[in-house]
Amino acid sequence: MALASVESLTYSYPGAPAALQEVSLCIEEGEVVLLLGGSGSGKSTLLRALAGLVPWFHGGRFEGRVEVVGRDTRRARPAELAGAVASVFQDPEDQIVLGRVEAEVAFGLENVGTPPGEIAGRARDALDAVGAAHLAERRVVELSGGELQRVCLASALALEPRLLLLDEPTSQLDHDGAEAFLGHALGNGASVVLSEQRPATALRRADRVVFLERGRILLDAPRDDAVEWLDEHRPAWTRQQNNNSLQEGRETVCRVDRVSFAYGGGPRVLDGASLELRRGEIVALTGPNGCGKTTLAKLAAGLLEPQEGSVERDARPAFLLQDPGRYLVRERVDDEVALGGARADALRVLATVGLAGFEGRHPRDLSSGERERLALATVLVAEPDLLVLDEPTRGIDPERKLELATLLRAQAGPRATLVVTHDRSFAAAVADREVSLAAVPEVALA
Amino acid sequence: MRPSAAALVLIGVAVAALVAHRLWAVGVVALVLLVVCLRAGRRAKPYLWGTLFSAGLVFLLSPLLQSTGYHVLWSGPDLPVLGRLDVTTEELRIAGVNALRLAAVGLAFAAYALLLDHDRLVAAATARRSVLAAALATRLVPTLERDARGLVEALRGRGLAPEGLRGHAALLSPLLAGSLERGLNLAEAMEARGFGRPGRTRVPAPSWQLRDYGGVALSITAIAVAALWL
Repeated sequence: MALASVESLTYSYPGAPAALQEVSLCIEEGEVVLLLGGSGSGKSTLLRALAGLVPWFHGGRFEGRVEVVGRDTRRARPAELAGAVASVFQDPEDQIVLGRVEAEVAFGLENVGTPPGEIAGRARDALDAVGAAHLAERRVVELSGGELQRVCLASALALEPRLLLLDEPTSQLDHDGAEAFLGHALGNGASVVLSEQRPATALRRADRVVFLERGRILLDAPRDDAVEWLDEHRPAWTRQQNNNSLQEGRETVCRVDRVSFAYGGGPRVLDGASLELRRGEIVALTGPNGCGKTTLAKLAAGLLEPQEGSVERDARPAFLLQDPGRYLVRERVDDEVALGGARADALRVLATVGLAGFEGRHPRDLSSGERERLALATVLVAEPDLLVLDEPTRGIDPERKLELATLLRAQAGPRATLVVTHDRSFAAAVADREVSLAAVPEVALA
Repeated sequence: MRPSAAALVLIGVAVAALVAHRLWAVGVVALVLLVVCLRAGRRAKPYLWGTLFSAGLVFLLSPLLQSTGYHVLWSGPDLPVLGRLDVTTEELRIAGVNALRLAAVGLAFAAYALLLDHDRLVAAATARRSVLAAALATRLVPTLERDARGLVEALRGRGLAPEGLRGHAALLSPLLAGSLERGLNLAEAMEARGFGRPGRTRVPAPSWQLRDYGGVALSITAIAVAALWL
C-alpha cells in the first residue's frame, strides 16, 4: 500500500484559476520523489495538499482525494497529520516560531505529544544529524540563512516523519551547503517529496521525477528516464550553458579597492576585498554562504560605506536585494515600476521581464517568481550604469533563469552588471567572468 | 532568575509605578527600569525612543488638556471645545507623574522584550497559547524595524531614498502588508507542525528557586508600599 496517494486532484485557491488539475500520483515508503516545473506550475500547492494545508488552511475548491499515511486529508487536519508528515518551506524566516534553536526544534515534538523525557534528547539528535548541534543554545536571530534552513530541517527530522515534504529548501544555500542539506534530508529512510529549482544535486539523489506544468503532471517517471525526457523536452533543466565572451578594453564603472567592513562592531565580514567592474561586462560574484558577497555588492552600489579601503564609482547605481518583498510598496504593478521612471518606460520594462498584462494587478498577488521579475523591473526602469543583483534567481525555474540571463546579456552593453549568486549554472550562463570570495572564518551571515 | 519569575517581577514593578503618586517615587522606578534596559545595549534603542516619545507627548499635551490647580504659569487662548489653554504648577506635576508612569510601563515591557528568554516563558506557562501569542507579538517590534530598514534600503537601491515624515509615512502601508503576509506564513507553518493538536506535552521546566520566590515577594511588597505610602 502506498504511503501517500493523490487521486484526480483538482484544486483552486479562492477566487483563482485551478492550481492543480487532475493530478494523480502515489508515493511509496522510502521513495524520494523530485517535483520539477516552472514558477506557478503547482509544485508548492501539491506539497501543501500532501501536508493537508490545502484545503484546510487555504480554503478554495478541492476535488479528488488525497490520502496520507492512511488518512484522508479532507477529514484529518494538518495538525493531526503532523509527526507522520513534516514540512520544510522555502523561506526559513517565515516558519521559525520560537527564539532559541533547541526550543524551536522541540516545538513540533511537544505539539505531537512526545513523552517529555524524550523531547530534549530527540531535539539534540536531530540537530546533530544535520550538523547543527553547536547551534542548540543560539538565538535564531543570530543565524545565517543556511543555518536557519538546517534548523528547520532538524525540526522536521526530529519528528521522525514517514513523509518529509521539502519546498525548495536549498534556495538560500550555496552549492556545498545544498549538497550537505540534501544529504541530511534524504538519508534518513523517510519518503521524501522535494521541489527544486536547481535540480542538478537533487536529480542525482531522486528515485523518481514528477514534472508539473500549469497544474498538470507532464511526466512521472523513474530518474534515468526522466533525465532523458528532460534532455529532450526541457533541456534548460539539465544542461549548463556558457556562451559568453569576455568584454575587453571598456571603461571602469566601479573600482572597489581593498575594502574592509564589519557590522555593528562585530567581526569583519570583508577584509581587504577588491573588485573592478567595467562597462559592458557582467561579473558573477560567488562564494560560500556568509563570505561577504552581499556586503561587497552593497559597498560597490553605495548602500554601505567601507570602513577601510575605497570605492570609486562613476555611475548611477541600482541594487536588487535578495528579498523581492522589499520592492512592494505600491498598490499596482505598473505604479510600482513607474516609481523609478516614466510610465511609458515602466510599461516597456514590464514587457521586457515578461510581466505584460500584469500592470493592474496588486504586487502582493504575484507568485514568488513573478515578484522576482517585478523587483528586477523596478531597478531596470532607472536605466542604471551599474546594476547590482543579489541572488536574482531565488524561486525562479531554470527556463526563466535562462531568459533572465539572456535579458541581462542583451542589456549589458551600456552598463556594468554585478550578479551575486550561488547558482553555478546561472553564473555560467550570464557572466563574462566570475569573482569568487573565500569564506571569512567564524563570521555569521549579516 | 527564571523567566516566569522575572516576568512577574517586571509586572509588579510596573504596577507599583502605576499606583504610586509621588513624582520622585515613580521617577526612581522608571530610572531603575531604564538601567535594566540599558543592559541590552544597542537593541534597546527603538524601545527607548518609543518610550521617550510617548512619555514626552503625555508630558507636553496633558497640561493643556487639564484644568487643575490655581498656580498659573502660562495662560493661553480660549479655544472651542477645549476651553482655555493654560498651564499650572499642579498640572505640570500631574503630567510629570503620568509621563513617568507611562515611561515605567514602557520600560518594563522593553526589559521583558529584550532581556527575558521567551521560549522558557512559553514552556513554563499554564496558558501556553496566550503566552506564545504574546511572545510572537513581542517579536513584532524588532521584525518591523528590520522590515522598515529593508524597505528603505530597497528604495535607496532604486535611487529613491524616502525623505521627511511624509516619505517615511508612505512606508507604513507596505510594512503592515508585509507583516500580515509573514503572519499568515507563520500560522501555516505552525499548523503543519501540529500546533493546536490535543495531547501536547512540554519539555520539563526547571523548578523555581529561592531567589525566584524572593523576587516575586519583593515585587508584591513594592506594590503594597507604593499603594499605601508612595
